[in-house]
Amino acid sequence: MTSASPIIPVAQTTLDHVVVTPENVVLTFQLAGPGSRLGAFLIDLVIRMGLFGAAVLISSTVGLFVISLSVAGLLVVYFALDWLYFTVCEGFLGGQTPGKRMFGLRVIHEAGYPISGWEAGVRNFVRAMDAAPYLAGGNLGLGVYGVGWLAMLATGNFRRLGDLAGQTIVIQERRVTVPREPVILSKIEPLPRQDLGRWIPPVTTLALIEEFLERRLVLDYERGHSLCRSLARVLAQRLEYKGPKELVERYPMAFVARVYATFHPVEAGEDWRDSETSADVGTPRSAPLGLGGSR
Amino acid sequence: MNKRQFVARREADWKRFEALLERFQQRGRTPVEEAPGDEDAVGQFSRMFREVCQDLSLAQSRGWGRSLTKYLNDLVTRGHNTFYRAPPARLQGLKDFVVSGFPRVFRRNLWYFITACLLFFGPLAVTWVLVQREPDLARRVVPIQQLEQAAESYESSPGTAGSSWRKPRDDSGERIIMAGFYTQHNISIAFDCFGRGILLGVGTAYTLLYNGIAIGAIAGYLVGTNRHAKFLTFVISHGAFELVAIAIAGGAGLVLGHALLHPGRRSRLEALAERGREAIQLAAGAGGMLLIAAMIEAFWSPADIPDLLKVTVGILMWILVGVYLSLSGRWEDRAS
Repeated sequence: MTSASPIIPVAQTTLDHVVVTPENVVLTFQLAGPGSRLGAFLIDLVIRMGLFGAAVLISSTVGLFVISLSVAGLLVVYFALDWLYFTVCEGFLGGQTPGKRMFGLRVIHEAGYPISGWEAGVRNFVRAMDAAPYLAGGNLGLGVYGVGWLAMLATGNFRRLGDLAGQTIVIQERRVTVPREPVILSKIEPLPRQDLGRWIPPVTTLALIEEFLERRLVLDYERGHSLCRSLARVLAQRLEYKGPKELVERYPMAFVARVYATFHPVEAGEDWRDSETSADVGTPRSAPLGLGGSR
Repeated sequence: MNKRQFVARREADWKRFEALLERFQQRGRTPVEEAPGDEDAVGQFSRMFREVCQDLSLAQSRGWGRSLTKYLNDLVTRGHNTFYRAPPARLQGLKDFVVSGFPRVFRRNLWYFITACLLFFGPLAVTWVLVQREPDLARRVVPIQQLEQAAESYESSPGTAGSSWRKPRDDSGERIIMAGFYTQHNISIAFDCFGRGILLGVGTAYTLLYNGIAIGAIAGYLVGTNRHAKFLTFVISHGAFELVAIAIAGGAGLVLGHALLHPGRRSRLEALAERGREAIQLAAGAGGMLLIAAMIEAFWSPADIPDLLKVTVGILMWILVGVYLSLSGRWEDRAS
């Protein structure tokens, strides 16, 4: 079945699946692409072959005494690995086969909740169709998953026929950590107030700047500045910035960082009044910008 | 409150929630299973979960950046998956399925079963009749080796009908092997028959026709060449479970195909998913019936038992299957 593997591309863009939970929260799941799913499948294949190998060993030992029992046992093990392995793993281990667990994949219902044994059954009994065309006789289970692959591409959210019938999706789970402040921010000087007009950048812009600064290390110096320049120009214009033009044009990253520092002060005030967005960023420092009333 | 304050204030709680998740996920259990009876622990988990949900909503609506939203989204996802686990499979559920769930699903989808029967038993009967009149026709459908093998199995030694199916010596061993073989082979066919329904039902129809014709040809050949005594007494008992189960699995496949072809007022995908939930139960039930059939076929059908008894038991089996599928769970039909 590996003949098709080199062609299967790993999805470059992350496709998101959006679900609204009973708590009325919008959850975003990252769909798993064909690449990691193929990887998980191969791991499972190795595991299944290993289990069958173990069964052969055991049954050949048993076969020394009761040959019939060992043959019958092997047939039943073969059937179980062929038809029940995925269903049982996904249905009773929280939507994960060992291979999927290794790749951080999980099968869930498209509405966001875990699947039951029935849904696992549907998606995995239809698997035989997804696996077509077969390299060797269908009974050997060596499918190249041509049908499933086409279905994944056609559905747009990477669902093979079994996923469509079972109403399931395969998601990529990842562990992320609490985001840290970009270290440099505490050292950045706010912009002098007399250089600025009355406009206050919205929180989302500040969040964008923060995110950009967090990730700035993945870019080289030139690229970082050139990417940032257009944002810096727009900001400078909106802010009616009267400082040196060089800061905006040559060091746009420094400029946006200073904008951030100006409106998102590091020493957070102890002001817990859950005030509205613009006032949020308007803790003491921005008072001279005309927000004095909010304090 | 700005983002920094928010993170500073909530971070400790997130860490605690993460640790709790870690605990549950490692053991693969739900909070309720982890601490049975300890309502405080469950309550604490659900309270923290709701708080994190709120945090996520807040971060989303305030636009506090992708990295924070991603982190909270991940926490909520894991909490969601831990909290809303599918109800654990219990033996009681299996019992309910056997006693009433399966027959009820069967009756709700009766017309699919009838259609599958037409596709399966129809060609079976026609081929049987044709081949019985002209046994040579069988060679055009079934490979000759298979025919000879079948013929040999059902060779009746004249005068001792019912006593010499096989040499007694290797009987028991062979039966155990055959039990394994029937299990693997027949249930595979049934599940495949179901799965192929996704091809608009064409795959299922093909499987049903193919098996119907093949079985009919072999049956007709054996009867037409005077081996009917052995053959009919052999198949009558397990046939009740086996043939009916194949037709049920076929019906399950047709459910899928029909949902795609005639989705009614839903979208095709919705119809497929909704009907699929019933179809899989039919397929699973058929698998169970085939397991029973395999045991009967391996141990009872070839046993040295007088023909009369075998035929009687065989007829009882058919009645049993019929009564089970048509009556079991009726009381719940009425209740709902």
